[in-house]
Amino acid sequence: MIVGFMVKISMVLILILSLIMIRQESLMDRVVNLPIGKSLKILTWGFFGITLFVTVIVLLA
Amino acid sequence: MPEVFKSGKTKPESDEIKKILGEKMTGSSFGSCVPRPHRFKFESQQDDETVLLLGRRHIVTNFGWIALICFAFVIPFFWGEFPFLKALDGNTLVSLTMLWYLGLLFFGLQSFLMWFYNVYIITNERLVDVDFVGLLSKTVNVAQLGKVEDVNYTQNGFLANLFDYGDVIVQTASEQKTPDSSGEASAFTFESVAFPDRVAALISQLTEEAEK
Repeated sequence: MIVGFMVKISMVLILILSLIMIRQESLMDRVVNLPIGKSLKILTWGFFGITLFVTVIVLLA
Repeated sequence: MPEVFKSGKTKPESDEIKKILGEKMTGSSFGSCVPRPHRFKFESQQDDETVLLLGRRHIVTNFGWIALICFAFVIPFFWGEFPFLKALDGNTLVSLTMLWYLGLLFFGLQSFLMWFYNVYIITNERLVDVDFVGLLSKTVNVAQLGKVEDVNYTQNGFLANLFDYGDVIVQTASEQKTPDSSGEASAFTFESVAFPDRVAALISQLTEEAEK
């Protein structure tokens, strides 16, 4: 019970961290503008999408 | 009539610089030492400023976190060996496994971004050292080439000698400590850079030319 609750809380935490990572990546890309920056942006958004999907599943389960 | 002021024209590269940059270095975006990077711009870059070298830590320095991820990846296969986890119900165990892999993915992505964006830039006018620490802080050190006093490099350890990387330490006239560099010899310490001898030679040459 407690472990399940802690897992859910941790999932939400990772979801928030992935949002921070998206913001940080765009700031990094602004400071150092490399051609591959767009692909990295897609990668971080993809990670956020996966995290959101998994978190929703775990929270609803 | 003599030309008093020339605007928008960059100083041509000398033969020595061409020679240093012409030697074999990595050309791809993921390279540790990219001479004259294509379609690259950085914040506060001036119109007449040319980027001569873009560098970051050597790719070998990533092996630590990659090995850690590989090790952590197989741990869930042995969940059953831990008595505490054995007592959990199926749903919680699946959730815990998902959390574990998400955490690993986050750690890997974060480590990669930190490696990729922590760069040093050498232009025809100045040195720029961009340091991102964690998710929420960054330090950008900038020094004009004319203010560089001393350049030296060190290569410590077996891997550094095998893969030819090391630390390039640049002492500037207005030496100051920045929050990120508390343990570093200088605010301009380019850590674990590829071809440290050539990077040091390039900075020395540019400094000499700037002083003339």
